[in-house]
Amino acid sequence: MSHRPGRGTAQSTGAQFLSPAILARIDNLELLARTVVDGFLNGLHRSPYLGLSMDFAEHRPYMPGDDIRRIDWRLYARTDRHYIKLYEAETNANFAVLLDISRSMSYGSEGITKLDYARYLAACLTYFSRQQRDRVGLVTFDHEIVTYVPPSARNLDLCLHALDRADPGRPGSLGRPMVKIAEILNRKGILVVLSDFYEEAEEAVSAVRMLAGRGHDVIVFHILDPAEIDFPFETPSSFEDLESGERIPVIPGKLREVYRKLVGDHSARLEDAFTGGRIDYTLLNSSHPLDFALFRYLVARERKSRTR
Amino acid sequence: MPLQFLVPLFLAGLAAVAIPIFVHLTRKQRAKVVEFPSLMFLERVPFHAESRRKIHHWLLLLARALAVILIVAAFSRPFLRDSDVASGATSGPRERVVLLDRSYSMGIGDHWERATDAAREATQQVGPLDRLSLVTFASSAEMVIRSTVDRTRFASALDTLRVSDQATSYGPALKLAQTILEESELPAKELVLIGDFQRTGWTGEEGVSLPEGTIVTPVAVGDEAPENRAVSAVSLPRQRFSGRDRVTPTARITRLGGDAPEDIEVVLEVDGRELQRSTVQLPAEGSASVTFEPFTLAERHTRGSVRIATEDALVPDDAYYFVSSPGRALSVQILEDAQNRGASSLFLQRALSISAENVFDVTVRATGSLGPDDLTGTNVLVVNDRPLAATSATALRSFVEEGGGLLVVLGERISWPTELGDLLPGAFTGPVDREEGRGGRLGYLEYDHPVFEVFRGPRSGDFTGARFFRARGLTVEPSDSSTVLARYDDGSVALAERLLGEGRVLVWTSTLDAFWNDLAVQPVFLPFVHQLVRYASGRTETLASFQAGQVLDVSDARAMETAGLGEAVGALAGEDELVTVTPSGATAPLPAGEGPRFLRLEEQGFYEIRPPGGAGARPLVVAVNVEPSEADLAALDTEEVVASITAGPRSTALPGSENARTELLRREDQERRQSLWRLLLMGAFGLLALETVLSNRVSRTVRRGSHATA
Repeated sequence: MSHRPGRGTAQSTGAQFLSPAILARIDNLELLARTVVDGFLNGLHRSPYLGLSMDFAEHRPYMPGDDIRRIDWRLYARTDRHYIKLYEAETNANFAVLLDISRSMSYGSEGITKLDYARYLAACLTYFSRQQRDRVGLVTFDHEIVTYVPPSARNLDLCLHALDRADPGRPGSLGRPMVKIAEILNRKGILVVLSDFYEEAEEAVSAVRMLAGRGHDVIVFHILDPAEIDFPFETPSSFEDLESGERIPVIPGKLREVYRKLVGDHSARLEDAFTGGRIDYTLLNSSHPLDFALFRYLVARERKSRTR
Repeated sequence: MPLQFLVPLFLAGLAAVAIPIFVHLTRKQRAKVVEFPSLMFLERVPFHAESRRKIHHWLLLLARALAVILIVAAFSRPFLRDSDVASGATSGPRERVVLLDRSYSMGIGDHWERATDAAREATQQVGPLDRLSLVTFASSAEMVIRSTVDRTRFASALDTLRVSDQATSYGPALKLAQTILEESELPAKELVLIGDFQRTGWTGEEGVSLPEGTIVTPVAVGDEAPENRAVSAVSLPRQRFSGRDRVTPTARITRLGGDAPEDIEVVLEVDGRELQRSTVQLPAEGSASVTFEPFTLAERHTRGSVRIATEDALVPDDAYYFVSSPGRALSVQILEDAQNRGASSLFLQRALSISAENVFDVTVRATGSLGPDDLTGTNVLVVNDRPLAATSATALRSFVEEGGGLLVVLGERISWPTELGDLLPGAFTGPVDREEGRGGRLGYLEYDHPVFEVFRGPRSGDFTGARFFRARGLTVEPSDSSTVLARYDDGSVALAERLLGEGRVLVWTSTLDAFWNDLAVQPVFLPFVHQLVRYASGRTETLASFQAGQVLDVSDARAMETAGLGEAVGALAGEDELVTVTPSGATAPLPAGEGPRFLRLEEQGFYEIRPPGGAGARPLVVAVNVEPSEADLAALDTEEVVASITAGPRSTALPGSENARTELLRREDQERRQSLWRLLLMGAFGLLALETVLSNRVSRTVRRGSHATA
């Protein structure tokens, strides 16, 4: 745990952590997700947050046009008023992972790429959500949508398969894919965005906030490789942009501090902007165990359930 | 010494210097590439741009750039022109001989300055190992500098040179140059011939053949020949008037060039004063004579000059200097028979009395006995067919041995004392008649002898008309001292000579009247008698002037006689030191001592010879004139000279000279000799080797750094 993102750092949960590099040895994503999620849940079984997230019921007065089968007759017996019981239908929320598979996500300095890390995290979250009886879906995108798995209770395998086949290749941008995602995901749900956000903070936030504006609960994970955060290079070299192919000669020792400050400022602006837009933002170091990400997800979901 | 390129187009390749610079600026990109997700933040760092432009391995870059420059320069075939390095890089040290024309025609305009400039330029084109020789020439050649590597010495010698008053003659100078070049051990030989290339100085028979491979560089400094007027000659005929000599100078004026007749004013000066001025009309490319009024010679060594009043481009030949002294007649004593007094010597006496310059002072005596004082002051004694007493033997022998002249006429009455038999060239016998036909004739004349030399040319005297009816026989044993000068057609001796001591004895085997022959009534009689007496006297012709370049031996009596200084022979015999004052005013001693005392007559004008201090009598004067042939300024084709003295056509000219029409060395030759491209390529290879070492070292350093980082 040598690298901790500044504002996104969370406290240790005491759970059993598995290194992403070790997880990378598991080829089957479902097995991987199960391994992570089960272990995570076992570590959190006494947590006060358990069961509070999705088991929420609500009554509202009956309105003409409502299905009479949903009237809570027991409450009518006590109050002589018609109330409709809504909890069963509402708690099975839509859950979708929006995974950035642009070329820059293929970078990894310590055995696992950012995309792999994001892939594992997406699998874990999808599996976890499916355990919560949510309908799960997946959207992969670079500068446009590459794969779309609509949210469904039966699409866990599809999602895991699509994740498995996700292949980075093209440059990415958030604006255009987010617009399309907002169009195709009509039903409100929980959207988890996994990206390295290599574009201006204002543009990225603007694109993601569009989803929030459609009523989705959006949780953003900003995934960076430790080398992108710490810039540990020493030898003067030509640095090549993975997406554009552009090269510039760089003497790392002379610009490391400036680079770190620029990256820190970028993530800080993203966090400020997302938070201001009621979007949960978390900066993830791809060398950190996935448990931390899951923990952050649960915290975010719990917060959203409170504010609903 | 500018650097030049044979193929300057290749210099465009210098743009390739940008390649190593570009490599240096971009090397890091190729050396290691690090893939990074995005350069979004790196591009915002201003530092990277600076680092991109920064060159980290200056030595490496320098080696690469220099190697490129040297290679490009080598292909451009550079050569250093007219420099020490260039000369040093040639095929070997050179022996360069500079021949510089000092003839007085070089004084025209700026010819001399141009010539010396060309000579200096020739010195600047030599390398440290090259040797320079400087030879100046006019009518003779002079070695000024012989095979020196010291250019400063050469330049200093050049500064001291002036135009001489002598005429041009290429032969001696070229011979001298040939000797220098042949004796030189240096591999390359060059001859630089600087002058105005006057045709009059070139005979075409110089017989010069320079060593093979000699590069001859003619530098002609003369322009088109200007119009020139000259006093080519002055004759000084004399008449005796009231016991004094009167001279009537006649000058010949020539004009070369021009296209219309021209009036020329000519001035006669005597002893520095203008005596007369006369105008003569000169045709174009022609000549005319001007005769001045006679003037009286009052003093010995009277200086005179005839000069053209208006000077032209060539000044020295506009004046003619002469020295003249009142004549000193030859004293001739004729001994004749008293019984035949006046008859046998009539023709002889009359002939000697007829003389334009009154050179003979004739005395006729009818005695056969001579005492010691009888011959005092006599130059020539003529024993005209009369017996001579034995008592005269001593006086006569000493007279002859001391330089007197004796003419013996063998007539009918001659008898010769036996004591004086050795005075004659041979023993004479009795008269021999030639009565067959119309008598005998002179069949053989020794025309090379001074007596008959004047009759050598056609229509210069006809001896064949004379008839000889009687003559005495004379048996001459040819020897160094006895010579037969004329024979009759039957082979018998007519005239014989014997040299005895300082004197001369001539024997004429017939008479000098009309008794035994009719020679006395022939036109040739008078000049013949004059020549006989002149030769017997031993007196040579007096020259009114010498030509520049001649040498006068002051201790030589005959030479001084020729110079008109015969009376000073005793004073100049070598006992006393003398001083010479040249026309330019410089003084030079003529040290006393035995042997020749040469006076070099190099300047035009009057040379004075006098004792130190200059006090006393009027100084002895010698007039010196320039050679008139130099007045013809027609130029010679330089190629003609080069072709005749070299085996091959390797003739070039010095660059920089106004008349240099071709290059000294063709650029290709110069470049080929220097071969600087080889040095440049070697340098380039050396730099590339250094570059290899440096770049390997840098690469190892970088790799170590990379591994350390990894």
